[in-house]
Amino acid sequence: MSRATETALVREGRSSYEGAAATAIGLSGVVFAVGLGTLVDVLKITPPAAGVQLSTAMGIALLSLGVGVIGFGLASRLGYVDTRPQPSAGIVAAVAFTCVWFAIGALVAGAIGLGTVSWMAVGLVAGAVAFAVTAFPREDIGSTLPAGSVAVLGGVALATGVIGPGWEWVLVSYNATLFGDTAVPVVVMFASLLTGWAAAKAYGGFGARGRNVGAYVLIYLIVLSILSVLVGLVAFVVVKGLPGLFHGFSIGGEQVISWPFLTNGASLLADVAGVFPALVGTVWLVIGAVLFAVPTGVGAAVFLSEYAEQGRFTQVVEVATNGLWSTPSIVFGLFGAAFLIPRFGNNKSLIAGMLTLGFMLLPLVLITSREAILAVPDEYRDASAALGVSKWKTIRSVVLPAAVPGITTGVILGVGRIAGETAPILLTTGGGVLPGKSAAPSVLGGFQVSASPPFVTNPSLLEATSALPYQLYALITAGLSGNIEAPQQFAWGLALTLLLVVLVFYAIGIATRYYFRKKLHQ
Amino acid sequence: MSQTDPVDATDEMNRTAGQTISTTDGETAEETRSEWVDYDTGGKTKLAVKDLDVHYSDDHALKDVSMDIPEQSVTALIGPSGCGKSTFLRCLNRMNDRIRSASINGTVELDGEDIYQDGIDLVELRKRVGMVFQSPNPFPKSIRANVSYGPRKHGDIETGLLARLTGRADPESEEELVKRSLERAALWEEVSDRLEDNALGLSGGQQQRLCIARCLAVDPEIILMDEPASALDPIATSKIEDLIEDLAQDYTVVVVTHSMQQAARVSDQTAVFLTGGELVEYDNTEKIFEDPESQRVEDYISGKFG
Repeated sequence: MSRATETALVREGRSSYEGAAATAIGLSGVVFAVGLGTLVDVLKITPPAAGVQLSTAMGIALLSLGVGVIGFGLASRLGYVDTRPQPSAGIVAAVAFTCVWFAIGALVAGAIGLGTVSWMAVGLVAGAVAFAVTAFPREDIGSTLPAGSVAVLGGVALATGVIGPGWEWVLVSYNATLFGDTAVPVVVMFASLLTGWAAAKAYGGFGARGRNVGAYVLIYLIVLSILSVLVGLVAFVVVKGLPGLFHGFSIGGEQVISWPFLTNGASLLADVAGVFPALVGTVWLVIGAVLFAVPTGVGAAVFLSEYAEQGRFTQVVEVATNGLWSTPSIVFGLFGAAFLIPRFGNNKSLIAGMLTLGFMLLPLVLITSREAILAVPDEYRDASAALGVSKWKTIRSVVLPAAVPGITTGVILGVGRIAGETAPILLTTGGGVLPGKSAAPSVLGGFQVSASPPFVTNPSLLEATSALPYQLYALITAGLSGNIEAPQQFAWGLALTLLLVVLVFYAIGIATRYYFRKKLHQ
Repeated sequence: MSQTDPVDATDEMNRTAGQTISTTDGETAEETRSEWVDYDTGGKTKLAVKDLDVHYSDDHALKDVSMDIPEQSVTALIGPSGCGKSTFLRCLNRMNDRIRSASINGTVELDGEDIYQDGIDLVELRKRVGMVFQSPNPFPKSIRANVSYGPRKHGDIETGLLARLTGRADPESEEELVKRSLERAALWEEVSDRLEDNALGLSGGQQQRLCIARCLAVDPEIILMDEPASALDPIATSKIEDLIEDLAQDYTVVVVTHSMQQAARVSDQTAVFLTGGELVEYDNTEKIFEDPESQRVEDYISGKFG
């Protein structure tokens, strides 16, 4: 009856083992998060908490995690718990641990001060041992012992203060110094990633289920770190930029809301210098680019996917479009400066910037629109044709509405890119470093009707205009020494404004997409 | 005209050399006889198909098919997969034109007018010959918009801002058309209180009846159905079958089906296509199912083949 026990669906007597493993996973997660926090400077490793330095505490945690993980492996190998390990941890794990231990061996040997040949040899030996330990024993040992040992080693190094707050390592050939407040979080995060993975495998009882749980934990921890990098980046700009953005901000009074940073220019007379001209410039640039690129891009996509014969021609267009999308923005800017500016009054102008950014946006709109149109099921086209509806009417009333969410996604992505472009604006739109409020383009009010061709003119489209990314760049190159108080604060406020403008465009795009999706499916 | 061994010996005595058609790959399964397909439908002929021949690139999908389809009746097309029955159906409203590799020879006469002649108005043709597809394919729009889609696009109903401004908007006639079409498709009762809901929220059977209503809204004379119930459960299928029988009082219905029972239940006459794109037998449905002339048809119907 051995087969019956081997294939039992319910494993018994593992609740305490699973509980311990779950605790280890949780602890790994916490340690990983703390490591992440110290890396992005939210937490400091130096100040002692409850009499213990944070790095020492994390070292002890790592040490216990490492010992625990090795314990899980041993308990499973010695048969104290009912698990389903496979014969080997697998080639991927073996190669990964070989690399990890080669690096550890080489670093340790190098830190002790052995010569080139020696550290290489130590690394190779460590890697070979790790490979053997991972590949040859059963999976429960193979995936816990190498991982646990990394944590034990790292934990000992942190707990004993070998690597700690005061630690530094001069990397001679790189002309750089590695400090403890970088090294500690790196060690902590890496080791806790490994123990989390190994503990998750133990929790799942190794085998297919264990690998599944292990992969989940690994993916979650990596997603956590990616998210925290994003959040950290945005939070950094927000914290630095808020004082500038809200300088002189008040609610109440005559204007109800007074927000001088957004409504003032940067003149000497203004109490609070503001970014109004650049803000308006950026908004108009984006609007102009979208107005130019969306109709042309969608039109071209309709032609390529509905009318053109799929073949050599469409392939060439596709390659060309992809190439255009990856063309560096400075090249677009140069084109705008050399081709557009002579045709629009030989000055840097708003319209030259709009068109240049429109050219940049065009390929992405074309690519995503084309894909969105191709993704519309042929059943819709057939149904419409069978009702006797012509091709163009079908495209207009069935295909394009069904493709709108996809097209919007492309426009959102593209706007995110062009709103922050500096190089093309630098070359085509220009504008002052610290423009006064009167320098803001008034496009809507600028239209003038005349009796002679071209009948309608708009001087503000033909004037050089500042834009947020350009002004930021200009401020930095001007050494932040303009005629305003607290230029540093002004610049960070400017950066935050740019970020917010892009986010607002995103929000508009996402709301549009949501609206059309809802219309299609409800 | 070469002839190899016949599959079925019992028919050998009836055979004369001139009536044998060999397939392109040289295998002659069994003869097809012109009198088996020369069925005099009795009623007024709505569609007269003569020597219809369809190739997809090198693939000979339909071979010299000729048949008359009488008006206000249900004609079932049955046969195994890949026998060309759907191809035949799609020739009747020129939907095969949409496949670039297809080349079509022969004539299809709708009320005596060849629909494959030059200068035919495809819009007008497809308004007169409607089609319902195998899997329900309503547009991702509201139920009302699905039904009124065809008339709107043809300009029979004017909606929108301009129509309202010029006083040509006629919400009552649209309302009435939607109601009439949905009632005719036996769907009105189920959806009358939620015409503005998205059609994709309906069940499969309801979606298919909506597609029928959408087709009826342009007021066709002929309705082509390509396995209209194959993606549906038995209850929805029986509703569609009832509907087909009912529609035959006013329309000429041509229905492709995989289900022999369905063909037997709903159709007045049945055409059997067998592998290779041949029309083997075309006759009164009762005759086909009870006493077919062709041995191969009998084998197919009794489930020995196909």
